[in-house]
Amino acid sequence: MTALESHQPDISSESSANYENCETVKETIRSGTPQAAATPSNSTDANGSGPVTPEVNIIRRKLNGYVGFANLPKQWHRKSIRRGFNFNFFIVGESGLGKSTLVNTLFNRELYPQKEVRDPSAEKQTNVKIETVSADIEENGVKLHLTVIDAPGFGDAINNSDSWEPIIEEINSRFDQYLEAETKINRTTIIDNRVHSLVYFIEPTGHSLKPLDITFMKKVHTKVNLIPVIAKSDTLTEEEIADFKQRILDDINTQGINIFRPPTYEKDDEETILSCQELMSRIPFAVVGSTDEVSGKDGNNVRGRAYPWGIIEVDNEDHCDFVRLRQLLIRDYLEELRETTAKKLYENYRTEKLRNMGIEQDHSVFKEFDPLVKQQEEKTLHEAKLAKMEAEMKSVFDQKVTEKEKKLQKSEAELFSRHKEMKEKLLKQVRLLEEKKTALENSSRNMLDNPSQQKSRKRIF
Amino acid sequence: MSDFVGISNLPNQRYKIVSKTGSTFTLMVAGESGLGKTTFINTLFQTSLKSHVDHKARHQKGIRSTVEIDIVRAELEEKDFKIRLNIIDTPGFGDNVNNRRAFQPLIDFIDDQHDSYMKQEQQPTRSEIKDLRVHACLYFIRPTGHSLKPLDIEVMKKLSTRVNLVPIISKADTLSPREINEFKQRIRAVIEAQEIKIYSPPIEIDDEASAEHSKILIESIPFAIIGSETKVQNPEGEMVLGREYPWGIAEVENEQHSDFLKLRSLLLRTNMLDLILSTEELHYETYRALKLDASNGNKDDSRSKLTKRFNNNPQFKEEEDQLKKVFTDQVKAEEGRFRKWEQNIINERQRMNLDLESVQHQIKQLEEQIKDLNIKKGYK
Repeated sequence: MTALESHQPDISSESSANYENCETVKETIRSGTPQAAATPSNSTDANGSGPVTPEVNIIRRKLNGYVGFANLPKQWHRKSIRRGFNFNFFIVGESGLGKSTLVNTLFNRELYPQKEVRDPSAEKQTNVKIETVSADIEENGVKLHLTVIDAPGFGDAINNSDSWEPIIEEINSRFDQYLEAETKINRTTIIDNRVHSLVYFIEPTGHSLKPLDITFMKKVHTKVNLIPVIAKSDTLTEEEIADFKQRILDDINTQGINIFRPPTYEKDDEETILSCQELMSRIPFAVVGSTDEVSGKDGNNVRGRAYPWGIIEVDNEDHCDFVRLRQLLIRDYLEELRETTAKKLYENYRTEKLRNMGIEQDHSVFKEFDPLVKQQEEKTLHEAKLAKMEAEMKSVFDQKVTEKEKKLQKSEAELFSRHKEMKEKLLKQVRLLEEKKTALENSSRNMLDNPSQQKSRKRIF
Repeated sequence: MSDFVGISNLPNQRYKIVSKTGSTFTLMVAGESGLGKTTFINTLFQTSLKSHVDHKARHQKGIRSTVEIDIVRAELEEKDFKIRLNIIDTPGFGDNVNNRRAFQPLIDFIDDQHDSYMKQEQQPTRSEIKDLRVHACLYFIRPTGHSLKPLDIEVMKKLSTRVNLVPIISKADTLSPREINEFKQRIRAVIEAQEIKIYSPPIEIDDEASAEHSKILIESIPFAIIGSETKVQNPEGEMVLGREYPWGIAEVENEQHSDFLKLRSLLLRTNMLDLILSTEELHYETYRALKLDASNGNKDDSRSKLTKRFNNNPQFKEEEDQLKKVFTDQVKAEEGRFRKWEQNIINERQRMNLDLESVQHQIKQLEEQIKDLNIKKGYK
């Protein structure tokens, strides 16, 4: 019993205390008879034989007492820890913009080892390749399976047309893989390898976006949560950064490029709203990456870069937007990035894909279940069946009756005609006999009167 | 500070998303009428969601008895958390003498919802998906103190392969604690012997408190409950949900009196998510796999299923029988008419025969007479 109590600490205190005063916010009056509830709004269809659009009654109430379903988010919290998390993100940008360093800084570990200096005689590869690095990271018992996808070679060639193709292919193939997995009969071991975010590194030119930047972003912005960052922002002054950010945002807006913005909810508290606004105001994030610890102003070791003119601290919000990027990508919105990928980006991709495969949308399957409509449908079918049964039975019945009637009529007619025939025959016989009899009688009477005459007549016979 | 990446914050992000988006929960209550299903639902959610059967209407040929499935839809908010709640019930249940078929609509409903979800899920655009998959089915057992009836066993078997089945002994205030224990043991024995797969809270061995809690819940199955929507004063002077008898107060939320709190914990407080996820990941997936496996061969499956259902509907069956009877009667009536007709013909024939006979007789007479006349003549 102790465990039960520890799990439900507020049973005695809260339970049923407010049973009566649950506040009815908006209650649609549930009509007493189900039939009235099913009466469709279109009055043209009073007999309910056609397509019925049921009005769904929903009881809306706000409960003050303790019921317990409000604990579901907590259950999800626990469950999510048990199940662990996964996150896949793409980093795209020309080489030398500090992508690997930034990833290492973000997760505070050497995901990408220090690159060896390329042999000067080696031919620089020009094709864009796709490379992935995975790691399992655990922090306070929370596990994250992280995959970073990288496209080395992007933007490095002299002619960069189509250099985005391998990246788009990678994004698509990860969607396709998921689509295939969710279509399979057995999908208990479905793994989410979809790209949850794409961090695009903008060269800190201080001018504006380059044509390649714009073209690339326009190619991918409907497929991924796009997060543009200004790389190596320590080469720009505060003012330059502000101007550069503004120009980039202008470009993004004019070109109609969708970038990921943290979602907001109806009942967010003020703190959340403010922090979200602050975060939004920093987009595109100007970042500096460094895993090196340097000695900061107050003597503490900080991650940063030491210059003769000072130290730029990665984790200092006054120096760069690194903390904001991490907030968006990991601390506050990683799950939202995954959510948007699953609910919007993937769904859009899937819709498009299936449509192109010629699969038509069947809107009829999305109707709200209504037992009365269902019953009506079944009743209609049942009545049709009954009518068919009746018609069949009736036709068989009528046919049989007609046959029998005809047979009887025939035998009746035969009977009458035979009787008539026979009677006529017999009557004829009677007539003949009567004639004979009369003749005989007459002759005998004559004989009595005139016997000699009769004798002579007999002789003649 | 720099060591902290922020991964440990991910569960909080999940918490926030779930809090803000809310959830859907569908609960089915199965059992004969009069077992306190409506009261239980209203007690569980502390608001009158379902209205009680109007006893005054029972003499009218009610609409209620023609409704196979009743759905109550609600949007409840507790501490700013919203759920879309659906309660599935069979109002006409137990109105028939033979209840074998009365459960069929419940089973059909579960399958139908899985089917509907599957069809929706397969569409190119599926943002408007309507989800009425049943997350838990509460099976109300009559507090007889004996054991499960054969019908209970049959129905529970069918339900348990499709849904999270939670058996409940209702109106437990008619049994003494000893009787309840014995009754529970007997039911558990039958459930085990019949291999009925009831819902069992998972025991997470790495979390002692939770595992202990699950154990307590499992040991209480089938939950013996008392339902009441009214408050009475208990001996301690508190106003509590309960039932007042001359011999005392049966309190709904008193652990000594009923398992209501444990059941509520299982349904909402601690295991609601597990019920939802196991429905989606186990029961729905099982249905989907079976269906996809079968659909390779049988395309006309939905129709045959529908026709099969007609036979399950006692009213439809009755109507069919009625129609057949009408025809049988008609056939009988016609047969009678034909028999009479035939009899008439026979009578007529006899009359005619008599008529002919009389003529023949006349002929004979005439012949006799002629003969006589001839003889007479000959003597002359």
